[in-house]
Amino acid sequence: MILIVAGIALLVAVEIVVATRLWRTSVPSDLRLPSLDPAREFPAGELRRAESFDAFGRWTFLGSQVVLLATLAVYAKHGWRFARESAAGPIGTGFLLGMLGIGIAWLTQVPFSIADFWWAKDHGVTNTDWATFLFGDWAALGGQFAFVCFALLVAMGFSRLLRRSWWLPATAVFAGLAVLFAFVTPLLLDLHEPHNPRLEADAAKIARQQGVSGIPLKVEEVRSDTTAPNAFAVGLGSTRRVVLWDTIAGFPRGEVRVVIAHEYGHQARHHISKGLGWSVLFLLPTTLLVALLTWRRGGLARPEAVPLALLIVVVLQVFTTPLRSAISRHMEAEADWAALQTTRDPAAMRGLFRNFTDVGYSDPDPPGWFQTLFGDHPSGLQRIEMAEAWERAHPH
Amino acid sequence: MPSEPVRITVADADLQRSRVTVLFRLILAIPHLIVLGIFAAIAIVLAPFHWLATLFSGNPPDALADYFRMLVRYSLQVYAYLYLTTARFPPWPGTNDEYAIDVSFPPAARQNRWSVGFRLLLALPALLLASALTGGFGFGFNGSATESALQGSGAAAAAAFLAWFACLVTGRMPQGLRDLQIYALGYATQAYSYLFLLTDQYPNAAPRAYPSAPMPDHPVTLSLSADDLRRSRLTTFFRLPLAVPHLIWLALWSIVALLVAIAAWLAALVRGQVPAALHRFLAAYVRYTTHFTAFLYLTANAFPGFTGTAGSYPAEATIAAPERQSRWTVLTRGILLLPAFVILSALGGIYGLTAIFAWWIALFTGRIPRGVRDAGAFALRYSTQTYAYALLLTPRYPYAGPGPGTSARNAPAAPEPAPPSYIPDQPVWTREAE
Repeated sequence: MILIVAGIALLVAVEIVVATRLWRTSVPSDLRLPSLDPAREFPAGELRRAESFDAFGRWTFLGSQVVLLATLAVYAKHGWRFARESAAGPIGTGFLLGMLGIGIAWLTQVPFSIADFWWAKDHGVTNTDWATFLFGDWAALGGQFAFVCFALLVAMGFSRLLRRSWWLPATAVFAGLAVLFAFVTPLLLDLHEPHNPRLEADAAKIARQQGVSGIPLKVEEVRSDTTAPNAFAVGLGSTRRVVLWDTIAGFPRGEVRVVIAHEYGHQARHHISKGLGWSVLFLLPTTLLVALLTWRRGGLARPEAVPLALLIVVVLQVFTTPLRSAISRHMEAEADWAALQTTRDPAAMRGLFRNFTDVGYSDPDPPGWFQTLFGDHPSGLQRIEMAEAWERAHPH
Repeated sequence: MPSEPVRITVADADLQRSRVTVLFRLILAIPHLIVLGIFAAIAIVLAPFHWLATLFSGNPPDALADYFRMLVRYSLQVYAYLYLTTARFPPWPGTNDEYAIDVSFPPAARQNRWSVGFRLLLALPALLLASALTGGFGFGFNGSATESALQGSGAAAAAAFLAWFACLVTGRMPQGLRDLQIYALGYATQAYSYLFLLTDQYPNAAPRAYPSAPMPDHPVTLSLSADDLRRSRLTTFFRLPLAVPHLIWLALWSIVALLVAIAAWLAALVRGQVPAALHRFLAAYVRYTTHFTAFLYLTANAFPGFTGTAGSYPAEATIAAPERQSRWTVLTRGILLLPAFVILSALGGIYGLTAIFAWWIALFTGRIPRGVRDAGAFALRYSTQTYAYALLLTPRYPYAGPGPGTSARNAPAAPEPAPPSYIPDQPVWTREAE
């Protein structure tokens, strides 16, 4: 017992030290954001429309999370009964229980997904048709099943080999997988060259300014599926990319430059590697808790423990969402700051986030509790406030 | 209460065929096909009156019922002749002459009006299956044009295509192909009898419901055990995504199995026998594919293991120990396999169709009909025998007949499967708490 407590204390200490290092940011610590009034920053109609659009998504999201947790709680209690449907040995039976748990959870989420999709279609945010939405979702479930089987193979395999200490090598494997996944993701996406010399020149200049000139800019064609604007940074090492959705192509040049600078900011500040680091920090206590809490059910080597393990993982995910959202917002704010430092164009940033509200129906000022708990990006208003703060700090 | 089933009788024991009539069979059948076409066209006109009269009175009118009985019988006999199932030129309709294949209809009886009212809709799945069995539409797994074309022609037609060559060479109809045709034509006869209101008993897809010779002793058999036909609705609903990890594993295993099969082929060419270790590996692979296919197509309920362990699954393939094989058949195995793959492709379409029906039925009732299960098991047994032959696990050619050997009732002696390797009666923690 003393060893366990000491081990956990050591783990907590290591996590704190690493988290402190990962939390470091280039945003000035003394930066104070001005408090702007959204009613003065956005036209009343746009604001009302965006608020209405986002409010619906907020409630379906919260509803889906409650239903998810309740479903998995029931499954954790009774799911072992499905072991009777298996002739596959302990690990194979674990696969079945894991997949059925995901499947049941997926079923309970279908009404919320349909409601969200209907809402997005009603507002013209998505161009995907119903058949593609329904069948694509079904096909994606097969991928999730394959993933959960692999995760269970690792966890249950180590558990059978090492009993209680399975969580440590399993975490290492999962971390390795996360790194591999981050590395190969850009290779799996259907990305194209921008075929726009001015855009390419802007991107090359920004990349050079941020010290990441080897990272190419790519375009992903999503216009047939959605009208929402978006961009992202992906990859590790030689596969690093900055990707713009083609839905953003119609934005003014200055605003597109801000977007590009923001994404190169992610790459320049190693946010993907840092994100992986954070993932490991969350993974370690998750696997440890799964190991400890399933032990009374015979440990994860026994398939009956799988439904409980599933519940633990999802509960931890849900309840650490505020922390993970805060980390994400922290990195996004740093990328925004990098964009401002690079483009030195706060007016373009203000215009960009006004456009996001107009085109993407993104509520610029969601309720504080929701933004704190679940907002993974600074709100549109906060980002405009940062542009304002930068401008005040750089009067010339 | 449902009436008696429509029964098929066969009186053609010697299987001898005149090579001349076989050679010209398609042309010889033309007069009958023309007459059949005319009778069928008249039937299309009469069918709505027959349906309305039955719907109002609850009984099919005698005169019209007789016409449709004549049509169904004549259709069976013409197609049996066309497909080489029978040797003799069939009698003309209405003559009531004895023929090698015949059908006996149940006496006319009152029918449930709801069942009559929705007969076309109710008959649709049976007609689809009949079509896949005899000719027409079928679901397939492979994209190749050749296979799709053969599959599209139905199991009976595919069997006829192969039988034509066999009869020309040997002057004799292969028993397995003949029995497959009787099964296919028999089912179609039941399906059309149901459609034309000659019976209110739904067609029986079970091969054992039709006359056929027992499967000769074969080193590869399939046995179904401990199947109460119950299917978990949840695992049925998710059957396809649940198969994803198995599909990935099967793909990986197939690559290795292919390499091992090449090694086995070379070894068998040199030694005249597959080495025991390679035989064991390939047998486990074939058993695994059988377990997985049975799960995917709902022939069995339990989620299968990943190792193909003998006796571990309710749908169990039994594969005999390695035996000596003719080097010539080993050398030409790829060519010898072609006819088997033609039949396999046709049966694959039927298996896919029965799986789709079983999926819907199990989703609503939590069970699958025994006939549908047995039809699937027949296709699965043939598939197992074909892959065992392809992978040199046996020198015996797959048997195309649906004769006894595929159902639990008639299964040949096979080791009783061990209980599923993981079935807890209650949660472990409860036991510990006690």
